[in-house]
Amino acid sequence: MTFKEIQDLIKLVNKSGLTEFKMKDGDFTVSIRTKSFSEAPIIQTGPAMMPVQNHLPPAQAAAPPVAAPVTAPAAAKEEAKDDNAGYLEIKSPIVGTFYRSPSPDKEPFLKVGDMVNAGDTVCIVEAMKLFNEIESEVSGKVVKVVIDDASPCEYDQVLFLVDPKG
Amino acid sequence: MDNPIFIGKVLHDFDQLSSTNEYATELLSKSNPAEGTVISTYNQQAGRGQIGSSWESAPNRNISLSVILYPNFLQPTQQFELNKAISLAVRSFLAKNLSAEVFIKWPNDIYVQDKKIAGILIQNSITSNNIKSSVVGIGINVNQKFFETAPNATSLSAQTNNFFDLNTLRLELFAALEYYYLKLKSGSFSNLNTIYLERLLNYNNEALYEDVQGERFLGTIVGVDDLGKILIVINGEKRSFNIKEIQLIQ
Repeated sequence: MTFKEIQDLIKLVNKSGLTEFKMKDGDFTVSIRTKSFSEAPIIQTGPAMMPVQNHLPPAQAAAPPVAAPVTAPAAAKEEAKDDNAGYLEIKSPIVGTFYRSPSPDKEPFLKVGDMVNAGDTVCIVEAMKLFNEIESEVSGKVVKVVIDDASPCEYDQVLFLVDPKG
Repeated sequence: MDNPIFIGKVLHDFDQLSSTNEYATELLSKSNPAEGTVISTYNQQAGRGQIGSSWESAPNRNISLSVILYPNFLQPTQQFELNKAISLAVRSFLAKNLSAEVFIKWPNDIYVQDKKIAGILIQNSITSNNIKSSVVGIGINVNQKFFETAPNATSLSAQTNNFFDLNTLRLELFAALEYYYLKLKSGSFSNLNTIYLERLLNYNNEALYEDVQGERFLGTIVGVDDLGKILIVINGEKRSFNIKEIQLIQ
């Protein structure tokens, strides 16, 4: 498992609301417990409590989070706070009402997992009966739709998170 | 008003069409139509109002058209200025053909007395920097005298008892649109705002409104803010309202 994959896994577990997660892949095991399981999150990696660094190429081993079980609580917090790190944001250039699809009977412009290219229409924001198709200025894979369909959005509010690495 | 130079110079005319706005949007996505390109039909079959609402139109009696514009000189937050220019254009064109007073009902319906005679549906494509393109959809009730599903509607013919030539009217509309669009392009925002308010239904007049909670109150329209919200003085206090937050009762 790569460092990035472990990172993604922690994010996923954090978001899912799970209290504990264990995984075994060959002789590699990972176990994540979140705050709600026991007061302090515990992240253990195996086998036999072997530090994760040993599984990683040297360059990545220097990366700080998930370095060792001792620093895990701080690392997990950092993760939660920096949830959007590495992702690009598609923001609303105006105040209005956000719509995911061109009309109520049509499919949404974008779903999580879809690829978006700069110039693509990502949603409609209605303002004072003027309907605005918002064009993406970034490219990548949609990882999150940040706001609900038909809800109000503010100027510069983040609407979508996009992973540029796809 | 002079003859139009660029609006309607390229004209896609259809015997019938489901929606001129839809066709125009499609055309924009596949090509680079010239500014002022018009999609027009006198027989629109699935005209749209706001999201989810429809627009009733009997065949060959009314004007339905969409104009493609590139107001790149406007920032996304300035889009209500475009709405003012278009609303004023449609209003002035209708006023020339009617003796009754014609008003803009905020934000962009056109009314004669208490009845709607024309509707506007603007669809922009925007980035963080500017408005890339606009499809300005306009529906005008001309020779249709009776409305089955829209009791609140009227037409030029219902108001005057005359029969109108649709092609002639359409040219007049193009000229009015071009006049006000060029005014907008020249940056005359404050002038446009002044005329918009002059033509706004109930501007400076006390009227009865209802808010989303169903509460009714007397208020006086004193203006619109930069984003297009309506400014109403209620009991000496100035408040601003979004489109879904308030409704005119009478």
